Amino acid sequence: MTDSPIVAHDLVRHFGPAGSPVRAVDGVDLEVKRGEIFGLLGPNGSGKSTMVRMLTTLLTPTSGKATVAGFDVVDQANDVRRSIGVALQDAAIDPLMTGNELLNLQAVLYGIPKGDVRERAAHLLERVGLTGAANRLVGTYSGGMRRRLDLALSLIHQPTVLFLDEPTTGLDPMSRLTLWEEVRRLNDEGTTVLLTTQYLEEADQLADRLAIIDHGKIVQLGTPSELKSAIGHPTLLIAVAPADHDAARATIAAFGELRPTAEGTLGVALAGGAATVAAVVRSLDDAGVKVLHLELNEPSLDDVFAEATGHRLEGANAPEATDAPVEAPRRRGRRR
Amino acid sequence: MSTDVLDLASPRATSSVRLAQVASMSRRSIMEMVRQPALLAPSLIFPLFFAALGSSSFGKATGLPGFPKVDNFLDFAAAGSIVQGVLFGSVIGGAALATDIELGFFDRLLATPTSRVGILLGRLAGAATFGAFQAFFFLLVLIPFGARVDSGVIGALVIIASAALTGVAFGGFTAAMALKTGSAEAVQGSFPLLFILLFFSSAFFPRQTMQGVYGAFANVNPVSYLVEGIRGLMIEGLTATNVAEALLVPLAIAIASIALALHTLTKRLASR
Amino acid sequence: MTILAPTSTTTGQASGGTTLRSANALAQRGLRNIGRLPAAFVPAMLMPIFQAVAFSGTFFAITRIPGFPTDRSINWYLPLACCMGSGFAGIGLGFSAIRDLETGFFDRVRMAPAPRSALLLGPLITCWVRVLIVITAVLVVGFLIGARLTDGLLGLVTLYVAGLGLATIAAGWGLGLAYRFKDMRAAALMQLVLFMALFLTNAQAPLAIMSGWLHGVARINPFTNILRLARQGFLGEVTWSNSWGGIVAIVWLSTLTIWFTNRGLAKLPK
Repeated sequence: MTDSPIVAHDLVRHFGPAGSPVRAVDGVDLEVKRGEIFGLLGPNGSGKSTMVRMLTTLLTPTSGKATVAGFDVVDQANDVRRSIGVALQDAAIDPLMTGNELLNLQAVLYGIPKGDVRERAAHLLERVGLTGAANRLVGTYSGGMRRRLDLALSLIHQPTVLFLDEPTTGLDPMSRLTLWEEVRRLNDEGTTVLLTTQYLEEADQLADRLAIIDHGKIVQLGTPSELKSAIGHPTLLIAVAPADHDAARATIAAFGELRPTAEGTLGVALAGGAATVAAVVRSLDDAGVKVLHLELNEPSLDDVFAEATGHRLEGANAPEATDAPVEAPRRRGRRR
Repeated sequence: MSTDVLDLASPRATSSVRLAQVASMSRRSIMEMVRQPALLAPSLIFPLFFAALGSSSFGKATGLPGFPKVDNFLDFAAAGSIVQGVLFGSVIGGAALATDIELGFFDRLLATPTSRVGILLGRLAGAATFGAFQAFFFLLVLIPFGARVDSGVIGALVIIASAALTGVAFGGFTAAMALKTGSAEAVQGSFPLLFILLFFSSAFFPRQTMQGVYGAFANVNPVSYLVEGIRGLMIEGLTATNVAEALLVPLAIAIASIALALHTLTKRLASR
Repeated sequence: MTILAPTSTTTGQASGGTTLRSANALAQRGLRNIGRLPAAFVPAMLMPIFQAVAFSGTFFAITRIPGFPTDRSINWYLPLACCMGSGFAGIGLGFSAIRDLETGFFDRVRMAPAPRSALLLGPLITCWVRVLIVITAVLVVGFLIGARLTDGLLGLVTLYVAGLGLATIAAGWGLGLAYRFKDMRAAALMQLVLFMALFLTNAQAPLAIMSGWLHGVARINPFTNILRLARQGFLGEVTWSNSWGGIVAIVWLSTLTIWFTNRGLAKLPK
């Protein structure tokens, strides 16, 4: 058995009638290494949440095996639960309780010794910035506050493995950045994190490695930069005076394949990568070309996604795209 | 957009147009009920269930002083069952109206040239229809089990008409509640009030056998007289008193409740 | 960044709360929520009070039927109202469970390494406390309008025992349905079955004066025995022969519905 905190092998989860099941997760292999932040990136309905629910013992896999913290998620479910912290997609909290009461309840359920509970709760509240609101009913909290409380709840027993299911969906940009900071800090302290997201930037910013999931299958796996450079070269866009056009064209053609661009501009796919920009500029200068405007476009994760799945991620989260009920039927009253 | 409830003077609202509007609103009300049988089941099944329970439990009660002359308890209970069913069913229309308001469909209706009264009358027509149906249904089911209608076919028709009027009467109150609160949950919260009206009346047991405060309440409760009118038509015969009680009591209540509903409608429109 | 003192979780593994401690914490949550969401509790308390008053008033004359075991209609209907109130308090547990399932809070509780039995015991304790409150409230009103014990305080004991037992049975039923349906559709079924169970008995009239089909049904319905257990303190002597049937019924029906609940809970992840 490996030392990796999260290992999944050919994990499958079906929903619905046996004859025509909905394949929410369709044979996923996964290994999250100790101390990394692993991102699972995909649109709504791709199977992310179903994966997380299986790994956190909330759902039984239809077939396949998974271990978390070295324990089997089916046979040793209770051991798994003791080792992990989980913050699910809808901040799963009781609006009729105060922040303090929730933390206390969580502490008891996790067997934190009585003497430690108060100190730990106070510490966590301070950490997520909710000390002032601790004695207010959670029903009065904003969405960002609920997420932060949810995070605090998941950390009460100092787990070494943390699952975050879409932690910033629906949050304003400020709250999102705060949460990213907190996740990085936790990771620096040694916590292994598996986070699912539908936001490219989030995956790009936070994940050490990421997997792209679509229709229940992993379609790409690697570090963000590996994935981006794998699909293509950065494009250099320049604007020059009409007189210099031909000379510029000839010059940049030496550095890679020319790309079609808007009227009045020229573009080249830098075969040598972004590092060759300096050389291009020097050559243009030597050729006497005056550069009016210069722009370097890295391939984005959206490009990676589009290449791997055939459709774009950013546009895929419009309401129409979520019609297909691949995700587990959600009986939540709050968000549709 | 006019806030006048009675749009009679509006040049657009000729009487045939208004009639057509009421007719289409009525049809909608009725179709809503027909398409959701699960909604209707409680007000159809429960009264029958209680009648059945009562017949078995209180069979020997018919000999008590204060009890009208009946062959069996069902003779006595049938009228109460009909009124119980209609009262419970009257919540359906009110709840549907509240749902319309909650979902914004009511506002959509108001934006059309439909007369405001037409919207209300449509709901009440639905209530009347269902009430009539309930009476018909209960009679059909209970007669084979022993209930009788001594006043014959005419009496049965009077009972059905009475049930329709009662549907309108209490439908008006639930509609007023819907217009006031705009919440289906609040309308359904009126169930306890209906229970009280039924229990403290002659619906389940003769008020002559009740004592003290209950008796006093039952004696002034219009539902007592309504039930006694229908009951009389079933076990006594076609008398003026019975017909008057069966028809005039719900009519009087209906006038009051429609007035209340119209008033609440006006206030709602005025505050927009 | 303060480092907290190492505890059993230095290895990143929590020990999981004990059954009793976890159940207690969940029970406290339930009791607090009663106060914070009165709309869910007050009707549940008013309904049995209304029932006691309404039934005893409407069917006042029933006591004059020859063979009726008491001459006060309130004596006959008060225990029934207490039992209805208890049963519905049990079902209330199912309603809370549905609420928790819909907000997702139940997932959080499920993910904790606390024993599964605590998940049932905690809310059950809340339910029992509710039943004690409801029965006491109904008794107060009942005594005010004329109810009288016929064999001293023992009659109260049997009433409370019957109420707690009914609540447990109903709680198992309600929770079991909640775990299977996971939304409010379960509510109607919960209430309907409880209603039938309690009314297809000697609820309204004693077996002796019943006629027809209901007599046969009531005789075999175990809830008849529970009602008998509850009522005896208001009708005559509290005897073992009036009690044992109800106690046996409570034991096996509770076992049945709790098994039903546990199966539902075990099948949740599936």
